[in-house]
Amino acid sequence: MDRFELRSQDFSLDEDQLAVRAAFADFFAKECPPETVRGAEPRGFDADLWGRLLTLGVGSMSLPTTAGGDDATLVDLVLIAEELGRVLAPVPLISHVVATRMLERAGAPASLISAAARGDFLVTLAHAPVTGGARQLVPDAAVATHVVALLDDKLVLLSADGPGAHVSNQGCTPLAWWRPTDGHDRTVLAAGAKAGAIHTDAVAEWRLLTAAALVGMADAALRLGVEFAKTRRTLGVPIGSLQGISFPLVDIAVGVGGTRHLVWKAAWYAQHEPGSRPELPLMAFDAASRTATHGTSASAHVHGGLGFSVEADISLYFLRAKGWSLLGGSTSANLREIGSVIAGAA
Amino acid sequence: MDFSLVELTRDQQIFQRTVRALLDEVVTDEVHEHERATGDGISVPVHLALGRHGWVMPEWPVEDGGAGLDPVCRRILELELARYQVPRIGLGTTRLVWAAVERFGSRELRERLGPGVADGSVRFCLGYSEPDGGSDIAAARVRAVRDGDHWIVNGSKLWTTGAQCCQYSFVITRTDPDLPKHKGLTMFLVPLDLPGVEIQPIMTYGGERTNAVFFGDVRVSDDQRLGEVNDGWTVLRGPLDKEHSLGPGRDVLEDLSSLRQYLRPLETALDVAVAWARDSTKPDGSGPLADAAVLERLGRAATEIELAVCTPGPLGRVKIGDVMIEQSAQLMDLVGTEALISAGADGALGHEGDIDFTHRFAQGTTIYGGTVEVFRNIIAQHDLHLPRASFPGAKVVI
Ligand SMILES: Cc1cc2nc3c(=O)[nH]c(=O)nc-3n(C[C@H](O)[C@H](O)[C@H](O)COP(=O)(O)OP(=O)(O)OC[C@H]3O[C@@H](n4cnc5c(N)ncnc54)[C@H](O)[C@@H]3O)c2cc1C
Repeated sequence: MDRFELRSQDFSLDEDQLAVRAAFADFFAKECPPETVRGAEPRGFDADLWGRLLTLGVGSMSLPTTAGGDDATLVDLVLIAEELGRVLAPVPLISHVVATRMLERAGAPASLISAAARGDFLVTLAHAPVTGGARQLVPDAAVATHVVALLDDKLVLLSADGPGAHVSNQGCTPLAWWRPTDGHDRTVLAAGAKAGAIHTDAVAEWRLLTAAALVGMADAALRLGVEFAKTRRTLGVPIGSLQGISFPLVDIAVGVGGTRHLVWKAAWYAQHEPGSRPELPLMAFDAASRTATHGTSASAHVHGGLGFSVEADISLYFLRAKGWSLLGGSTSANLREIGSVIAGAA
Repeated sequence: MDFSLVELTRDQQIFQRTVRALLDEVVTDEVHEHERATGDGISVPVHLALGRHGWVMPEWPVEDGGAGLDPVCRRILELELARYQVPRIGLGTTRLVWAAVERFGSRELRERLGPGVADGSVRFCLGYSEPDGGSDIAAARVRAVRDGDHWIVNGSKLWTTGAQCCQYSFVITRTDPDLPKHKGLTMFLVPLDLPGVEIQPIMTYGGERTNAVFFGDVRVSDDQRLGEVNDGWTVLRGPLDKEHSLGPGRDVLEDLSSLRQYLRPLETALDVAVAWARDSTKPDGSGPLADAAVLERLGRAATEIELAVCTPGPLGRVKIGDVMIEQSAQLMDLVGTEALISAGADGALGHEGDIDFTHRFAQGTTIYGGTVEVFRNIIAQHDLHLPRASFPGAKVVI
């Protein structure tokens, strides 16, 4: 990478992007108050909310028009994911959209793609490539009947009659143990280098969209902390006037402002110059998981004892910062991948 | 949203080659050695060479001594100056102060100084901070007392970087101690060759030189005043906001934060650490890259740099300083003992012990141009709208 090359650094959103963001911000604010999030616990799935999102076309919008989509870009998707994260929406949108895009990229039959796009069945992806028979935790597998996995050198869609058994977890998400079994129906989607490339790209996309959701989560946690700090008083002054309170809140704002931009930049590169900065989605994910972890914890702390109680909305955020960012595996592995790219390219 | 490479027109390509050719010629090893030895933050020969091409004020029309450059060529120039590691603190301060001269100086002053600013012979430094404190600029105590069509200036400024290479200092003075503190200030462009001005060097362990500047009964002509008497705070706000990355929107080619250039040494340090990880051999014959922990630290440093580059405005100011300090220390830890070796000594890493240098240099980046605490206060009030604390010295000098 030439650190002195002359590139545009335009982080502005165009009218269409602003409209997408506004529409989804509006939708999520109306349709997903904290009671909806609590009501969906412990499995973390609100079928009703999911149905309404499908009606808006989230399943198909990012597919090419030839596959019945609207050619929405990864930039559009990260804008939507940020709004989803802001309200902690209990829907498997990220997994389902990423896995559906895999089907399309692998050239799966049109009927299969459109059924997934309509949400006739729910599909997710297994993040770890499978070589032996060891089981792995797959995000959203407790609601999805279909799983896309890299089995040896083949990309395979495995389906069962019902979703996997939910395992109770910190973030209240539809997590399930999963392994390929004889009981699964199998469709081979791609083989060899192509299979590996589709899987790698999809995992990066999942991390990118999750990063966007974590930015929304951290930003919402920041707002909760700021509002509390404006009204809560000690020694006759609002706690927000004390630097011991305001500075940690500022640091959340610093993290959110930078991470949001990094997510956008990574989305732009993945969309317009795929392959030129493969580390960016991974960096966005690393930054976002730390921004959310730090942001939700610092905001909970600003709330004092209340921030430690399950009654406070900030608790929902605290538990999902790790609850969402660890769904794809260990963040250390992600960091090592960034290091490998840097050490290979610099 | 757009991050694509800018396609240069033929003229812009020629311009880029011209810039590189000039810099190849004038940015010699001696220039870098001089900077290492003195920490001046400005190379007078290079500054004058830029001035000869109209590149000190590249956006000015050619007839005013500029080069009439379009935004793309201006960005080309900026990136090449960074690539060639041209010491350019003096360039930055001169441009900042000129903005105030243009707006608040008399016509006579503008006409007298404009051509010299453009050709590089007239350079400005910033005289805000004082020995008693730099964060609270409005508490300035350097006193200016009217004497006919002159002012008598007494007191001292601290941290006036570049004063030894500049002709004028942009000095904020107290002209009425009885008014509320922001209202009794007046700004002057004080010629540094006047009798009674004394400049003493202060060295930092980041390699930079800055100065204490003493004023003893210095007679400054009223012609050198900027703005109205007792309205110096208004004059100061413009350049200060610009230095703080506040104010009106940026061009899409510009960096997100005015401090982005301070990240450059850390980027070099990371590249040096990567080369060390790939190419060095430990006494047991193994290489650092075999250790997964090495990959993790490199990945984290690279991520934090990218994050800092992407963090906008005042948020970026805080992020850049913090990342400089944290990640330079991390790279020191990663490499270990070798990272301590000084430039020129056997085994120094990179060109000039780059990781060691960055670790020392980083410490200043959270201080000058306003400390990160001052910026956190600004963000708390302006971005988060948190309630303001009330302090006894907010309105009056104490
Ligand atoms: C290398 C270098 C170059 C410089 N160049 C210039 C220059 O060219 N021109 C110029 O005018 N100045 C310059 N400065 C001065 C610089 O702007 C000041 O050092 C800085 O503003 C801090 O002022 P101070 O050092 O007096 O520390 P103080 O203001 O005394 O602050 C001491 C500590 O208290 C903290 N603090 C102060 N106020 C607050 C607050 N309200 N809330 C929370 N924490 C607070 C500070 O962050 C700092 O950590 C330079 C400094 C350095 C080191």
